[in-house]
Amino acid sequence: MGLRDDLERYREVGENRRQDLAEFIQYGDMGGSQQGSVRIPIKIVDLPEFEYDQRDMGGVGQGDGDTPQPGEPVGEPEDGDEDGDPGEEGGEHEYYEMDPEEFAEELDEELGLDLDPKGKQVIEEKEGDFTDITRTGPTSTLDFERLFKQGLKRKLAMDFDREYVREALKIDGWGPETVFEWARTDENLPVSRPWVEEAYAEIPDGERTAWESLEEMEESTDRVDTAQRIRREGVDQIPFRREDERFRYPEVVEEREKNVVVVNIRDVSGSMRQKKRELVERTFTPLDWYLQGKYDNAEFVYIAHDAEAWQVEREDFFGIRSGGGTRISSAYDLAAEVLEEEYPWSEWNRYVFAAGDSENSSNDTEDQVIPMMEEIPANLHAYVETQPSGNAINATHAEEVERHFRNSGNVAVAYVSGPEDVTTAIYDILSTEEEADQ
Amino acid sequence: MRDRQSDIEMQREAERLEEATDEAANLAGKLGLDQFPVNYWVVDYDDMNELIAYGGFQTRYPHWRWGMQYDRQQKQGQFLGGKAFEIVNNDNPAHAFLQVSNSLADQKAVITHVEAHSDFFANNQWFGLFAENPDATAMLARHADTIREYMQDPEIERAAVEKWIDHILCLEDNIDQHQPYEPVDAHQEVSEFDPEDIDDQLADLSVSEEVRQQVFDDEWLESQADDDEVASFPAEPEPDILAFLRKHGRQYDDEAGKAVEMEEWQREILEVLRAEAYYFAPQKMTKVMNEGWASYWESLMMADENFASADEFLTYADHMSQVLGSPGLNPYKLGLELWQYVENTTNRRHVVEHLLRVDGITWRNFHDTVDFDLVQEVLEPADLVAAPTEQELSTVDPEDPRVDADALAAAQAGELDLETYPWKLLSYEGLAERHYSLTKAQSRGFLSRVGQEELERVSRYMFERDRYDSVEEALAAVDYTVGWDRMREVRESHNDVTFIDEFLSQEFVDEHDYFTYEYMHASDDYRATSTDAADVKKKMMLQFTNFGKPTIAVADGNYDNRNELLLEHQYNGVALDIGQAQDTLERVFELWGRPVNLRTVVKRYDEHDVEVARRRDSEPTPEEKGLEIRYDGMDFSEEELDLEAVEHLAATDVDYDTKPEEWLA
Repeated sequence: MGLRDDLERYREVGENRRQDLAEFIQYGDMGGSQQGSVRIPIKIVDLPEFEYDQRDMGGVGQGDGDTPQPGEPVGEPEDGDEDGDPGEEGGEHEYYEMDPEEFAEELDEELGLDLDPKGKQVIEEKEGDFTDITRTGPTSTLDFERLFKQGLKRKLAMDFDREYVREALKIDGWGPETVFEWARTDENLPVSRPWVEEAYAEIPDGERTAWESLEEMEESTDRVDTAQRIRREGVDQIPFRREDERFRYPEVVEEREKNVVVVNIRDVSGSMRQKKRELVERTFTPLDWYLQGKYDNAEFVYIAHDAEAWQVEREDFFGIRSGGGTRISSAYDLAAEVLEEEYPWSEWNRYVFAAGDSENSSNDTEDQVIPMMEEIPANLHAYVETQPSGNAINATHAEEVERHFRNSGNVAVAYVSGPEDVTTAIYDILSTEEEADQ
Repeated sequence: MRDRQSDIEMQREAERLEEATDEAANLAGKLGLDQFPVNYWVVDYDDMNELIAYGGFQTRYPHWRWGMQYDRQQKQGQFLGGKAFEIVNNDNPAHAFLQVSNSLADQKAVITHVEAHSDFFANNQWFGLFAENPDATAMLARHADTIREYMQDPEIERAAVEKWIDHILCLEDNIDQHQPYEPVDAHQEVSEFDPEDIDDQLADLSVSEEVRQQVFDDEWLESQADDDEVASFPAEPEPDILAFLRKHGRQYDDEAGKAVEMEEWQREILEVLRAEAYYFAPQKMTKVMNEGWASYWESLMMADENFASADEFLTYADHMSQVLGSPGLNPYKLGLELWQYVENTTNRRHVVEHLLRVDGITWRNFHDTVDFDLVQEVLEPADLVAAPTEQELSTVDPEDPRVDADALAAAQAGELDLETYPWKLLSYEGLAERHYSLTKAQSRGFLSRVGQEELERVSRYMFERDRYDSVEEALAAVDYTVGWDRMREVRESHNDVTFIDEFLSQEFVDEHDYFTYEYMHASDDYRATSTDAADVKKKMMLQFTNFGKPTIAVADGNYDNRNELLLEHQYNGVALDIGQAQDTLERVFELWGRPVNLRTVVKRYDEHDVEVARRRDSEPTPEEKGLEIRYDGMDFSEEELDLEAVEHLAATDVDYDTKPEEWLA
């Protein structure tokens, strides 16, 4: 328990209280979100309390030199500043935050989608777990456990009951020579000749004949085996040897990265008024999040066009409005160029989404756009028509595209005339590829 | 876990701040504050966010709302940028936290602010209500242990514990915060007859359900109840709803389909959270005073006493304007303004008393006779206190009450750094003169603005003694400490409600541009309604009385003789938020186990009246109606009551409405 736990519980509580995903896409406030994180407003945050009716309560304000005179409107009362006062409830706006992965998962569930992203032929060597072993390496990767075990083994192998051998040196008539022979051959102890000689030298003359014979010595001396000795005396020194050192290094894992590039094309010509712009944003934004969540690595290209096309930053994309006419093929020309240069089909999954009100200059759809769409290899091409007031004359781009690609598996056309259509449009677009896969 | 690098960093910061914390405590003491000792902790950004989220304490019971506050805190930090927070908790010793990455100016501001808070905690009587020595850190950690253990108990569902906490927190302001905290005695049993006791006894007899239903049917149970006198309790409405529920509440058992005794853990958690509500209540009741108090002394120490060095001062000024510039009714600002007003008015009254004793000056001719420029000049602090460092130390008289004789001796021996801390040479009296409010730039003219009415009042209660021959002679007798003395008295006995009630005057409202506003039904917006001090006071009273919440009390624990709970809203003319009240009733049901009722008064606006008012540009008058809302665990029902039935609830002596009479239709 503790902070991590409390945060976790809060997220769970928030989970239960946040706006339904479909509702959020259709009507919710997307402004709070950023590309890397989706923020869904949470309906109610605080626990209920007995409170005054806000309106009936009125309040006190503080003017800044020009105090409003009675009768002057004062705007909506602001919440008192609670900064620096923990434990008090603050603002009303709360968000449930999810990353694009979670968003994609939820959207799959909500809409019954199941897009399986394809790994492209991009082979990358990635570092896996530290499971391989080498004899040299940086100290930080040293497998110390192994070094210790080897040392311990070594120690055990070299160890013998020194006291016992010392006693053997006290047998009448046995010199270092005899004892060494006896220890090595009869007892199989890892003694060295210098050690035996040194030990013999240390024994005072009077004790060198303490035992009559080997039998007498064996009878009155207890042998202590290595395990017992270590238990009693402890391991005071483990011999670490360079040859026992092993270093771990990471396994090399070959991975296919799932790269995706999403080209968002938007008609910014004069006929694309506020409402239409909003519908495009409402449709494109969740699509971006979804694909970002599905793929390991997602990049976005934003192209605005009227009669000409130009690349823009995301922040500007949905807000731009220009005066010119409309030539949709200009955007596809630019898209083809960018994709060819920066996102080769062999390495990237590609999605090309265009949106507008279906108005186009004459013959451009038939002569230019449709051939381009056929030519640009992509997982999916889509056109989203945003036409809040039903069909306008001359606005036939969507229909023409739809008619031409009726039997094609990688082109989707969706119609959005109001926020309520957005989720259907998203479903139509994303399920086109899925069906094509099957 | 924190790495060693940052440990070293924090250690270094702690050492860097040691002098500042020591000297702030010394200076505060000289200024007359008498604070609990403060332990300072240097923490990193994440720890700071965590402390803020957990109400200033490191260990609290597990709950999602701390997580929520942390999350919010972190986002605020992300979007609004860093801001120095003062976190200090009411304990002896107090604990305060400093964020490692803050600038030195911010750290000093926090330190001076915190020292003043600690003085407030130690001396304000409302804090004494909980305990003289709250030992809060240990208490809250103990509570955390208790609740955590219940959550980990395999016999108890964690989710059930969390829900139980949620229910109780909905009522955390429904206590009797004007009374000292008394734990509910666990063995204090209900003596009243309670048919459900029989119910339980029957259950203990372990007769089979069939026998029970045939022999001891509901009718029999009710007849038993009827035999007894109708037992209605409590005798007086009980505002401490949590205590009442702790004594008489039950839980609703879904499987049994009826109320059963609370489990031991439920009772204990209820009491634990009730204790915490009482512990935090004084802070909520004195927010304006306490924040104002801390801001006042912070500003005096930082700006006037140069606690912020010249290069830090800009950062400090920026910090201050950020704190005081926050929108809405800002407790820091209101508090600071009121304290300065208390100081100024006390000093002014004292000076006026002296001036009125000068021959030839009366309350009638005061404004014509007194040369305010001269008065201002004479009142200016003497050189000795204004610039102690420029004094030739050998000429300073150790007997002068404005001089700290020990410090003077130390300074003469070269053991004192007067350049950095000139205040060390002065005593409380000396510092009071040095910082005399009436001579400060922002108070210029305050003396001359004294009203005729006040002059008359002062002179009426004045004894005719100690006459002075001249203004100079009168002013020489002025005691510079009366302002601070008075402020300390006020901080001992008041809370926000009494503080505002006593000191908010028309002069104050005019000077600081306060105004009231109301919602207009006719135009569906908020309009300014008044700049009259009485009106501003009304609205502030509403905002600060009972934590700004409506007063709800238990009226009957055996309502209708059916063991239902009846809560009554003590209606002061401002209606309840009915939606929230219903949501809260659902929670109360969980703590009572049986149906719950709430009586209140609602305002009904007739659509036709609103329409007419709109056309006439006036405000419609609502019709007040009694309303009883009942929640039985499944459904709500509402019953309109005659006004007579709720008459006892409606307070007739208060009126929080500030709309001018002539606006009403």
